[in-house]
Amino acid sequence: MEALDSLFHGFGVLLTFHNMALMLIGICLGILVGVLPGLGGPNGVAILLPLTFTMDPTSAIVLLSCIYWGALFGGAITSILFNIPGEAWSVATTFDGYPMAQKGEAAEALTAAFTASFVGSIVAVMLITFLAPWIASFALRFGPPEFFAVYMLTFCSFVGLGKEARHKIIISLTIGFLLAAVGMDTVSGELRMTFGSVELLRGFDFLVAVIGLFGISEILLAMEEHLAFKGQEAKIRLTVVWRTWMTLPRYWMTLLRSSAIGCWLGVTPGGAIAASFMGYNLAKRFSRDGAQFGKGKIEGVLAPETAAHAAGTSALLPMLALGIPGSGTAAVLLGGLMVWGLQPGPLLFVEQKDFVWGLIASMYLGNIAGLIIVLATVPLFASVLRVPFATIAPMIIVSCAVGAFAVQNAMFDIWLMLGFGIVGYVFKKIGIPLAPMTLALVLGDKAEDAFRQSMIGLDGGLGIFWSNKLVGTITTLALIMLFWPLIGKLFDMIRGSGRTPAGAASSETSRP
Amino acid sequence: MSFVSKRAAMLAACLSGLALTASAALADWQPTKPIEIIVPAGAGGASDQMARMMQAAIQNNKLSPTPIIVTLKGGANGGEGLMDMLGSPGDPYKMVISNSAIYTLPLANKLPFDWRKLTPISILAFDNFVLWVNANAPYNTAQDLVAAMKKEPEGAYKMGGTGSKREDHILTAAVERIAGVKFSYIPYKSGGEAATQLVGDHIKVNVNNPSENVAVWRAGQVKALCVFDNEVMDYPAKVTADKSWKDIPTCKSQGIDFQWIMLRGVFLPSGVTPDQVAFYQTMLGKLVETAEFKEYLEKQALKPSDLKGAEMVKFLEKDEALYKDLMTQSGFVATN
Amino acid sequence: MSNDPNAEVDPALVSTRSVELVVMALLLAVAVFLGWDNWRIGAGWAPDGPQAGYFPFYLSVLLGGAAIVGIVSVLRSVDLRDEVFVGRSAFGRVLRVFIPTILFVFLVQVVGLYVASFVFVSLFMIVIGRLSPWKSVLTGLIFSGLMFYIFDVQFNVLLPKGPLEAAFGF
Repeated sequence: MEALDSLFHGFGVLLTFHNMALMLIGICLGILVGVLPGLGGPNGVAILLPLTFTMDPTSAIVLLSCIYWGALFGGAITSILFNIPGEAWSVATTFDGYPMAQKGEAAEALTAAFTASFVGSIVAVMLITFLAPWIASFALRFGPPEFFAVYMLTFCSFVGLGKEARHKIIISLTIGFLLAAVGMDTVSGELRMTFGSVELLRGFDFLVAVIGLFGISEILLAMEEHLAFKGQEAKIRLTVVWRTWMTLPRYWMTLLRSSAIGCWLGVTPGGAIAASFMGYNLAKRFSRDGAQFGKGKIEGVLAPETAAHAAGTSALLPMLALGIPGSGTAAVLLGGLMVWGLQPGPLLFVEQKDFVWGLIASMYLGNIAGLIIVLATVPLFASVLRVPFATIAPMIIVSCAVGAFAVQNAMFDIWLMLGFGIVGYVFKKIGIPLAPMTLALVLGDKAEDAFRQSMIGLDGGLGIFWSNKLVGTITTLALIMLFWPLIGKLFDMIRGSGRTPAGAASSETSRP
Repeated sequence: MSFVSKRAAMLAACLSGLALTASAALADWQPTKPIEIIVPAGAGGASDQMARMMQAAIQNNKLSPTPIIVTLKGGANGGEGLMDMLGSPGDPYKMVISNSAIYTLPLANKLPFDWRKLTPISILAFDNFVLWVNANAPYNTAQDLVAAMKKEPEGAYKMGGTGSKREDHILTAAVERIAGVKFSYIPYKSGGEAATQLVGDHIKVNVNNPSENVAVWRAGQVKALCVFDNEVMDYPAKVTADKSWKDIPTCKSQGIDFQWIMLRGVFLPSGVTPDQVAFYQTMLGKLVETAEFKEYLEKQALKPSDLKGAEMVKFLEKDEALYKDLMTQSGFVATN
Repeated sequence: MSNDPNAEVDPALVSTRSVELVVMALLLAVAVFLGWDNWRIGAGWAPDGPQAGYFPFYLSVLLGGAAIVGIVSVLRSVDLRDEVFVGRSAFGRVLRVFIPTILFVFLVQVVGLYVASFVFVSLFMIVIGRLSPWKSVLTGLIFSGLMFYIFDVQFNVLLPKGPLEAAFGF
């Protein structure tokens, strides 16, 4: 097979002492920047990009992509330990990862997250290895209606899942959408809801909001109870890794489903975040005990991590094959390619075999090396929870401030983060869920743009969302997802079993 | 860094020559802190690529004693970065790479920005605009396209471009007026997106810069109909199998008499000293002579430029008047 | 958290009911304000699809509606009346973190991030953690120093700096 030949050629390029050393350095640096909130992924790669200007392109991409893999692994660590997502796509990981850590299962959660990342990445790399040309042409079929249908599918798979009161879910969703709409409106080129403020011009950055909503508010909540994070009693031994692994095969369906979702959404640009949410939601929906999600279920960690990393990895494909970045990090790498004198695009695979296959080979080796390194450090990270609260809390607050500042180099964002911290604290206590808000904040303006781009020149015909097989299928799937609770009830009625209807249970948020 | 490639070694050789001339014309002011390049655009776009290239060229050729840092401030179509520059008077450690957003943002969005409140340093290059169609489209000239469009109802042809009420949109409106046709203009977030959407046949036409479409052009997925300039581009080397940039005819020769180029210029904040301006002008003067920059110009098919100081201001005045005129005609100027 | 022994002895500062009412009222006010602003820029349906204010306007309407539902359901609910939002001493503990945090952010603006984080970490450990002063100061120093080394020296990340760094020429 041609792909295998090329791949072995790639391994040949990679297996020099020099490149292997760069790979290890890259992964360690990546984990470091991934652990610091706000620095992971795009920022980390951007910061280290200048180091590679004098290298040859293959070594440079090996170093940078390994930083990326490292950051992908590292992003889960703070999500699980402190409820602070290091990356946009780690948000869904906090839903069950943090409760697990609170229950004293931090090590299990970390192991699950790392392993899931690895599985997702490997599936995506295999896809790139064997199906690259086909996938690249699939991505081309996505126009505005298709993008909108995908975003709608993500939202629809989410709505109706929460156990909170309906109006509270709606409040959370609309706030997220409204925050996402602040700033420049792409389609009309007009400014919205900026009220003449220069600080509001750039809109609300997702990471700033999330660091405040999740991280700062969590510290406040922790203070309310006692001067500590819960879960210090975590038993920290390397055997945890083995024990967790033994339980994983039973979740093969979740892993497979999330990998598929991730690969699909990663190739269509901007999908990594959608992928993590969708992976989580579908796992919850199809799991036998979906009600346990959000309380520290290992599936709830596996599903979003697998999907996010499958997406994060496959996002490199449109960057290489089409020259359009599928993620923030891919966008920075794109800038790097040009500096190294390469032209991303359909011809890259033909003209720069060493580079492309060296990169693909490094995806395999980098992920294997990354998995070993992060697993070996699980006890180290889990033991962070043993540090006295009074020592770790101010350090976390400082890291949050650094993260919020580094996103846009703006002092205003640190204040904004504090504001979101208060909002998160109050909302958590009165039972307004935060997850719908974060999802809407990330995808809201993209969904709106896609919808309005589809509408241009149509006089308001919604038929465009069924205008071809691809978009029609996705739209129909989205509607099925939206009405799934109803459909499920219908099925139950036919079968005559008495299941508790979704949404009837009261808020699960803890109240004192 | 101990890992030096062959390419870098070659550059180092050129550099030693440059270093001699550099020491002769040493400016009085020297930076002592890292210099920030503000990019008023998103990651991976043309401005970002230019900033990364400058960062690499300056660093590899040691044109600045301190490191260069690239900061993206792309909010509000770059308004964020421009307002940041406005808010940093007297700071000689910030330079912005700007395009025509310096005119469009104040006009279309009433953003309280005026390039006269910054210190113009130099225009490094001009970007061309090319009329592109999908490779499978039946027309090979702008006349063919216009004729085909006139057979269809108004707005049946979708034109994709970067943003709304910006250079691509203004150009589209101008083409509509000159050729007597009507597009449905679809604004995308970036030129790269407009390029893929053209390849995927979701739009019929775009007016991307050469650099935004070069990859798909070389792969034979799009066709270049004409360039909106008075003369053809001066890059005779073959880019695709049988075409060079020079082979693309001017739109003027195809019945659309319109010239449209976009500056890529560098500004410092207001209130910087003449010494500091001199340092940057010298540094950028050396930058445009580097091998990296020349390679970059050719790859992106940019028009070289050496406008600086008073000449640059004169150009900006004229260019701004042109934008104002066209935007008023198209109804893009904010009224409320 | 209801099995926390503190919850029983901690007198209520404010009830969940009042907080929820205030939040809903605030959200309603925000919704009205944003709705008005988006109506101003155009919330109709132009020939080329929805205008800039279309979606935000209807989102505001939705938010306002949900807030009204929230107000009604709080007023009608019986069990919320006695529920404690936060107890006095619990709120005191929250403020013991939050007020220093606000002071820290102020300090960042004055003396830069590195000095501020040294002061913040050390004082937090001494005052709130009641840890030994020399350990706390040492921890703060190492932490800030490490941050400076990583961000400023190694990675060239521009974080807010103050007069102290300037005195050393950074």
